[in-house]
Amino acid sequence: MKKLLSAPALFIWASVLLIVGILLAFWYSPIDASSMGFSQKIFYYHVPIASAAFVAFGVAFVAAIAYLRTQDLKWDRLGYVGVRIGLLFSILVMATGMIWGKAAWGVWWAWEPRLTTYLLACFLYAAYWVLRSVVDEEDRRATYAAVFAIIAFIDVPITFFATRFLPEGLHPVVVGPGGGGMEGSIAVSFAICMVGMLLLMAAIIRRDYEIELIRDRVTDLKTSLGG
Amino acid sequence: MSGWSQFKAILRKDLIRELRTRDMLVSMILFVLLAMIIFHYAFTVKEGADLTYFTGGMLWVTFIFAMLLGLNRSFAQEKDEHCLDGLLLCPVDRVTIFFAKTAGNLVFLLIIQAVAVPVFALFFIERNFLGDLLPFLIVLALADLGICALGTLLATISMNTRSRDLLLPILLLPLIVPVLIAATGATTLIFAEGASFGSLVARLLLLLGFDAVFLVAAWGTYDFAIGE
Repeated sequence: MKKLLSAPALFIWASVLLIVGILLAFWYSPIDASSMGFSQKIFYYHVPIASAAFVAFGVAFVAAIAYLRTQDLKWDRLGYVGVRIGLLFSILVMATGMIWGKAAWGVWWAWEPRLTTYLLACFLYAAYWVLRSVVDEEDRRATYAAVFAIIAFIDVPITFFATRFLPEGLHPVVVGPGGGGMEGSIAVSFAICMVGMLLLMAAIIRRDYEIELIRDRVTDLKTSLGG
Repeated sequence: MSGWSQFKAILRKDLIRELRTRDMLVSMILFVLLAMIIFHYAFTVKEGADLTYFTGGMLWVTFIFAMLLGLNRSFAQEKDEHCLDGLLLCPVDRVTIFFAKTAGNLVFLLIIQAVAVPVFALFFIERNFLGDLLPFLIVLALADLGICALGTLLATISMNTRSRDLLLPILLLPLIVPVLIAATGATTLIFAEGASFGSLVARLLLLLGFDAVFLVAAWGTYDFAIGE
């Protein structure tokens, strides 16, 4: 069981599922009947990436709480890795979202609530990065980073609600696809892509987390050798 | 000393210190008034342009930037004079310090608004909004509370870092975007069209929820933020 969940195994699972998912998305699922047409295919990447980004930030949130409770630095490393991967996926969300926006609405950027929320999440977690870089003491850096990771993760859904529901009356809210139900053949490909992307995220987090732990051990060994 | 009297003592100390020197309040008020003049020239694209639908944004951008100045100042003094070390040595609950500091910053922000809003109305608002004063004050109070609570928490963190006042805007601004959206929308509606309960209720609820969530979050994490 342990071997099946190791980082290399997760990478293999993820790549199999993502390849199968993308083949299904292009050859098995029908071309979208509504106005989206062929450009709807990006949905099979875009939405799973967005979910993966959110889950990665969630990992950082849980790790932050665990760190504040236990003061064990391994949680700090997990939180740090979670934010890093979440940030990477958020940038991909915006890149795919902009491509979609260009195809669907004819513009590269629209102040669409979901896109805006991810943009703000990028700024929030970039600030997390800056915060880590300006604190020298190890424990203090971990504590501040944890506090900020908690606050930031709580803020993201509130930002989404604010961007989604408040501007009503001042300017229209653009509604993306995914509101209605999904056809069976679309749902299968979508589910496979979703699981594949989440596994890919888990694989990267796991690998990076292990690298961080090894790095810490090397530092400890160097210190104990007097170097 | 009970928590309540500790709270009052810390708040009193902050107010007295500021009222003796007045350097923070005076600069913040001057900044707010100057910002209005700059906004006037920045947004008046042609003679007689209608700024009505910019008013909420102008007002809140000004308040948020003024608050950033004030927050940095209030903690820089604490840190430089080692006042905070003294406070931490006292047998005071850290959360009491947080609420007292938040209350202090809130008082300063309210003082600034008491000066700034009438001048702002004189400069920019043609409609008589005195009938909507109560909803306007509620919006002010709710948005101020959220900004001050989060601002106090993050200023506590940023003053202990190497970049100090440089860090605070980067941490605080993305977090208070929801407050900005709700407060700007509500304020603009009040200034431009008059407040109807239906148009304001969603924004007020968001502000209320934001305040509640972050007061609880700050209450839970301030112990860690302020350090040993």
